[in-house]
Amino acid sequence: MHESAFHQLEEVIQDSLFPVIDLALRAGRHVDRDDGERYAFVLDAQSLLESFYRRYGCELIHASDGFFYLLPVGDQMGRRHLTAGEMLVGQTLALLYLEPTTVQAGGVTQQSVVVARLASLVGERELIKALNPRRRRYDERVAQETVRTEIAKALRGLESLGFVDLEEGEQLRLRLGLLRFAEAVRGLNEPADALSGLIAEGKAVAQTPGDEDEEPEEAGI
Amino acid sequence: MEQSVQDASLRVIASLHRDGIGLELKPVDLCFLVALQTRASQSSLTCFEEELLLDVFEQVCDAVDPDGENLRKRATNAIRRLRAQRLLSRVDGAGIIRAGDYSMTRLASGIVEFFMADQVLTCESLSLLTKALLASLFQIRTEAKKAQTPDEWRQHVVGPLRVTVGDLVAGIERRQRGLDAQQEQVRKQIGELLEADWFAAVDQCQQLLDDTTTTLSELNSVLLHDTHQILTVLSDIEQVAAQAGMSDAEEATQRVSEQVDRVTAWGHTRQLAWSSYYQYVHRFLRDVVRLDPSRALSERLRNQLADWTRQPFFWVVAQASRIRVLRENAVREQRPPVIRPPQDREVPLEYVPSDREATVLEDLVRAVLADGKATLSEVLDVVLPEVESAKRFAVVGRIAAQIVAEGAPHSARERPWVQVPGEIEVEEWVLAGGQMHA
Repeated sequence: MHESAFHQLEEVIQDSLFPVIDLALRAGRHVDRDDGERYAFVLDAQSLLESFYRRYGCELIHASDGFFYLLPVGDQMGRRHLTAGEMLVGQTLALLYLEPTTVQAGGVTQQSVVVARLASLVGERELIKALNPRRRRYDERVAQETVRTEIAKALRGLESLGFVDLEEGEQLRLRLGLLRFAEAVRGLNEPADALSGLIAEGKAVAQTPGDEDEEPEEAGI
Repeated sequence: MEQSVQDASLRVIASLHRDGIGLELKPVDLCFLVALQTRASQSSLTCFEEELLLDVFEQVCDAVDPDGENLRKRATNAIRRLRAQRLLSRVDGAGIIRAGDYSMTRLASGIVEFFMADQVLTCESLSLLTKALLASLFQIRTEAKKAQTPDEWRQHVVGPLRVTVGDLVAGIERRQRGLDAQQEQVRKQIGELLEADWFAAVDQCQQLLDDTTTTLSELNSVLLHDTHQILTVLSDIEQVAAQAGMSDAEEATQRVSEQVDRVTAWGHTRQLAWSSYYQYVHRFLRDVVRLDPSRALSERLRNQLADWTRQPFFWVVAQASRIRVLRENAVREQRPPVIRPPQDREVPLEYVPSDREATVLEDLVRAVLADGKATLSEVLDVVLPEVESAKRFAVVGRIAAQIVAEGAPHSARERPWVQVPGEIEVEEWVLAGGQMHA
C-alpha cells in the first residue's frame, strides 16, 4: 500500500505545487502520469484532496487508467460540458491512442490523420452537420473549411483540458486522459446503459445537437 | 570556391540528363553484386573470370529462386544489364580473342557496401573504436611533445588527427546513424507485431524493448567512460600545440573534440528518447493490450464514434470562474486637445507689373492714324517693325480691330492683297485720313 507523504491538509496546501495543480484541476484539466511530479503529488495527497474538494461540491476522480480530474457534482463549482467538436475529436484521438501505428510513433499522430479518421468514421456530411449545426444550406468548400477550423479549435480546447499536447507543425502527442472518451464502452454493459449510468453520476450530459450552440452552463463558485 | 563546386555539380547534372543515365536494378542483380563482392573479399580477387561470374550467378539463383530456368541466359542478361549501368566493367582488353575478365566498379562497390556494411553501433564495435582512437591519440600526444619543426607537426600530429582520428570518430558517428535506423526498425516492428497479433505480441514487444534498452545503456556507459579519457588527451595535445604556436594542430584538435562532443551528446539524447518511448510502450502493453486482449475496446469505441451524431452526449468538466481582478484606480489624465502652432494664413501680396504692351500698341496705332496714313498697309508698315516677329500675325488682327473701332475704313469691291512686314499679306482698306481719328 502506498503511504501518503501528507498527513494534514495544511501540508498539502503549503506545498509549492498545490496552487498550480489546484488551478489546473478547477479549470477542468486532466492530470495524468505524464505530468510527472504533479501526478505524484495528487496521488500522494489524494485522500486529503478528495475531502477538500468535496466541500466545494466536487469529486476528485481517479480513473483506473492513471489520471485525475475534478467532477463538479454540486452547484458551488462552475462546470461546462465539452463541445460537439471536442467530443468528436476526443473520441477519434482515443481511438488513435489505442492503435498500434500510434504506438510505433511513440504516441504521436498528425492533425491530418485525425481529420481523415473522423471523416471516414462519422461521414463527411454528418461531420459537416455536427460542426455547422446552425446552417441548413452550405457551400461545400466553406463547410469543409469550417470543419477544419472547428477541429483545430477543439484540439486547442482538448489541450487545455490535458487530453493532448499540440507540438511542432501539426503533430499531436496523445495523452492518457483520452481514455475517458472510452469510458462508456469500457465495461461489459450495453454502451447505452453505461452511458445512462455516467449521466446519472453527473459525468456526462445528453443533449440534442441543437442545444450545443448554447453557451456552456456555468455555476458560480 | 562555392561557385566552382556549384558549376561542377551543374555540369554533372546536365551530362547525366543528356546521356540518359539511370539505374534500374532487380533484386537478383543486387544479390549478384553482393555475392561477387563477398567472393572477391574471401578469395582476394581483383577481377572475375567470365566463368566465375556465371557460377556466382547460378549460386545466387539457387539461393533466391531455386525453380528458375535458363540460368545461363539469365546470367548473360544480368551481366549485360550490370555492364550497361557501369556496375561491372571488362578489364582484360582481349576483346574477341578469349573470354573476358570483369571487375566491379566503384559504383557497384558503393551499392554493395551500403547494403552489406554492418553500420550498427554495438557495444563491441564502440569499445574497439574508442580504444583504437585512444591508442592513436596517445601516439599523437607523444609525437606532439617531440615535434620541433612545422614539418614534423604536419606529418606526425596534424595529418594523423585529420585522417586517422577523424576517420575513427566518423566511423562511430556512422554506426550511430545505423543504430538510429535500427531503433526506427524496432519501433516499426513493435507496431507491426501489435497490428498482427495484438495480445500474443506482448512478450515479443517487451523483448525488443528490453534488448534495445540494454544496448543503449551499455553504449552510453562506454561512451561516458571513454570519451572523458579521449577529451583529456585531446586537451593535452591542444595545449602542447598552443605552446608551440601551431595553429593548424590546435584547429585539428578542436575539430576532433567537437566530433567527440557530438558523439557523447548523441548517446545522451538517444537514451533519453528511448527511455520515454520505452515507458510509453510498456504502459501501453500493460494498460491497453493486457486489459483488452481481444481489442474489443477499439471496436466499441469506433461504434460509439460512428453513432455519436445520432446519440450525442458530452463530458462534464470543471470550469471554475476566474477571480475577477479589478482594474487599478488610476486618475485618468486629461488629454490636451490636438493643436498646431498658430501661423499667418494670409499670403502677402506680391507686386506684379501690369502688361502694358497692348496699351503701347494702341497708342502707336493711334499716333500713326493721326499722321494721316491712308491705308491699312501703310499703318502696318509703320507699326509692325516695332513688334516682335512672332507676335506680328496676332497684332495685325488687333490693329485691324482698332481701326474698325476708331475709324470708318472702306474697301473696293475687289480688295487687293498687300504685303506688309513680317511676310504677312492683308486685304487693303482705305482709311478716311485724319478725319476718322477724332
